[in-house]
Amino acid sequence: MPSKKTIKSAFESMLFVWGEPLDVKIAASAMNVEKTEAAGYFKELQQEYDEQGRGIRIREINGKYQFVTAEDNFDYIRSICTPVHERRLTQAALEVLAIVAYKQPVTKGEIDSIRGVKSERVLEGLTKKGLVEDKGRSDQIGRPILYGTTDVFLTHFDLKTLKELPAIEDIEDALQYTEPQSAADLRQTSLDLGQ
Amino acid sequence: MSYKIKLNIFEGPFDLLVYLIENAEMNIYDIRVSEITEQYLKQIERMKEHDVVVGAEFLILAATLIELKSRMLLPRIKVDGTEEEDPRTELTQKLLEYTRFKRLAAAIEEQMDYAAMKLTKPQEDLQPFTGEPDEYLKMDIDQFIAAFKAFIYRRQKNEEMVAIRGSIEREKMTVAAKKGAIRRLLRKAKGKILHFRDFLLPNGGRYDKVVTFVSLLEMIKQGFASVKQDGNFQDIEIRYKESEESAQ
Repeated sequence: MPSKKTIKSAFESMLFVWGEPLDVKIAASAMNVEKTEAAGYFKELQQEYDEQGRGIRIREINGKYQFVTAEDNFDYIRSICTPVHERRLTQAALEVLAIVAYKQPVTKGEIDSIRGVKSERVLEGLTKKGLVEDKGRSDQIGRPILYGTTDVFLTHFDLKTLKELPAIEDIEDALQYTEPQSAADLRQTSLDLGQ
Repeated sequence: MSYKIKLNIFEGPFDLLVYLIENAEMNIYDIRVSEITEQYLKQIERMKEHDVVVGAEFLILAATLIELKSRMLLPRIKVDGTEEEDPRTELTQKLLEYTRFKRLAAAIEEQMDYAAMKLTKPQEDLQPFTGEPDEYLKMDIDQFIAAFKAFIYRRQKNEEMVAIRGSIEREKMTVAAKKGAIRRLLRKAKGKILHFRDFLLPNGGRYDKVVTFVSLLEMIKQGFASVKQDGNFQDIEIRYKESEESAQ
């Protein structure tokens, strides 16, 4: 049985080679340890990197671990790179992605109805990018496809799980519309006849 | 060809309407319908002036607004004294939901910008461990040397031959000549059915087969021959059409 030190060291090497998020299950079975034990070692490694303020950090994505650069170093890294074209999502893509992320599983019809405009193309693009995927079919008439976000989405947005999405309540507060206190305020006092 | 033009960055009718409401500093719970309808229609007119094809969804909302405007003109007190629901409620709910997701979109965009500051590295090349290594890696060096020697030997041999005999060009039969040959054979057969292989030269190779085939196709087109084949890869039966030729 390899020592704890050996296992952690092996995990570190695996993270380096793997590059992409490494499933704890795979790492655990490679070292012949329990998944929970392996997860503990990954957490320890993660903590050690954080505490020492390393330039490389370990992040967790849906039970997978990945080496990433420390975000504080981004500007330094950028300064050694020739300007790279940043690939941004369009406003439409962000809207659709937000709807899918917060309302999933959601059908195309529901997305269209919230946005008031057809979203098929945008949804196709997001699927092609791997951010959104088919999560089965709804029981509604026509059995429409249900869409949901993927692990690629989590990675792209640096979220451990979907629970880490910006909270919906915070947003509600940001809406500065004031709802009328009582129904009386809503009553139309005069007829709206225009100018 | 189709191309997308973004104008005034309105993502859809709700986007435009929310913009107009905010611009007019209206409360979304208390929309002044006639005022906003007028502005909305004006905006659509402007889009048309700029030769933008106004999407059907913009027109649907325009119709909804006009209907709403007319309903606002009617008193909403029922006979029994109770009040009907505000006709604007449904629109307000829709706009609120849209606005909420628009803000959420902004929130996740911020999150994405933050995430973009953490860089990852691509996976190491695991091909040597996982998939099939390239073929040359499997071959040992002796096999490789043997293969190279065989290649050099063949090459030398070829050069020696050329040195002795000079290069020989194969005489190539033309389609016209082949057609003549086919016609002679068919005539000799006197109406008997011949098969495709009867026209091939011994040792004619692929080139001969192609020329024969092309010649036959041409003869069929010109009406000198008719052919029949029962199925794929079966013998092609060829019959001469005497009458057609004599008419020529």
